[in-house]
Amino acid sequence: MRAKKAKKSRAGPAAMTVVVMRLYIADAAPNSVKAIANLEAICKEHLPGAFKLEIVDVLEFPLRALADGVLVTPHLAKLSPSPAAKIIGNLSDRSNVLHALGIKQ
Amino acid sequence: MSATQSAQRVAGERVANGRILRLVKSGPEREALESGQVDAVLDPETRTAFLLPDAERALSAAGGPIANSLLAALPREDYKGLLGELESLTLSSGEVLYEPGERIRHVYFPGDAQVSLLIVMPDRKALEVGLVGREGMVGIPLVLGAEVSSVRVLVQGSGSALRMKAASFREALARCLPLQRELYRYAYAKLGQARQTAACNRFHQVEARLASWLLLTRHRVRSDQFHLTHEFVAATLGIRRVGVTNAAGALQRRKLISYRRGNIRILDRKGLKAASCGCYEIVRNLAS
Repeated sequence: MRAKKAKKSRAGPAAMTVVVMRLYIADAAPNSVKAIANLEAICKEHLPGAFKLEIVDVLEFPLRALADGVLVTPHLAKLSPSPAAKIIGNLSDRSNVLHALGIKQ
Repeated sequence: MSATQSAQRVAGERVANGRILRLVKSGPEREALESGQVDAVLDPETRTAFLLPDAERALSAAGGPIANSLLAALPREDYKGLLGELESLTLSSGEVLYEPGERIRHVYFPGDAQVSLLIVMPDRKALEVGLVGREGMVGIPLVLGAEVSSVRVLVQGSGSALRMKAASFREALARCLPLQRELYRYAYAKLGQARQTAACNRFHQVEARLASWLLLTRHRVRSDQFHLTHEFVAATLGIRRVGVTNAAGALQRRKLISYRRGNIRILDRKGLKAASCGCYEIVRNLAS
């Protein structure tokens, strides 16, 4: 794993739901760098303290990515809450990402 | 790159493209691929991931030596973080990057390109007030919160550079503290250089100023040999062409430089330093 970042809700038991995501990238290739920056910006604005993100570099962990059904990078997988969703590409289409993550605009 | 290497690369990319299209047949993956938003593809047969040609080129550029000193001074992770927004291009001599009063659209980090900053007077006469090479960046107003260029920016020597859109640059500057630090230091050095030059122009003899300026150019291009026309040197030092001829002739007679048809070679660096007005040392120290 190239980088790992986890943030937990600080709001106590009645807290908002934590969105769990996994982002598959390829080292510091341009679209991967953009996807990380775009996702961080979205999380900072819409999910402060309420998300958990794991970043997997497929050049280092191809078997894991293949086992998770990943075909190309960048690939963002929303794992929970259900429904699960995936978004392919550099995540520059903000409304598409918000919709897939179940965030109301 | 030779013609054979180039042909090999094209053939290699065609094979890679065939493999990519076989693996990514449809769905959102194919859409992202077609819109240029994919970096790597996973191959279940070989159980490996491979990079697309563009991503591979960008990564090999990131792993290789960094031509621009400001970018090279950044921690590698910070530099990699900027790569997604940096576009590689070749600047051609005579190309104008900004006109005075024009909104800045891109900042430029020269590699081996040389770019000069010119003040254009109402009578259209221009004076060179700064030269930017691999040690610097073009677009300092954006670092200091202005959006418009006050000078004409003209490419003097063709060569490579990286550029970034103004909006992306502002974001990068806000989030990347090492970049901020490098650029503030650079902006301060340029301010110091402008002050020093104002005093130098007022108090020092042309011959000594020319010697200083040649030493600075040598430092910037990292070579004892470079090409500069009489006209350009005259515009830089704010003197007439005949003044350049006389001063260069004097330095040549002392066997410090040779100067033929714009080709300058520094023959005796120590001697040239002794003949310079000393502003060279001050300006160099500001930059370090």
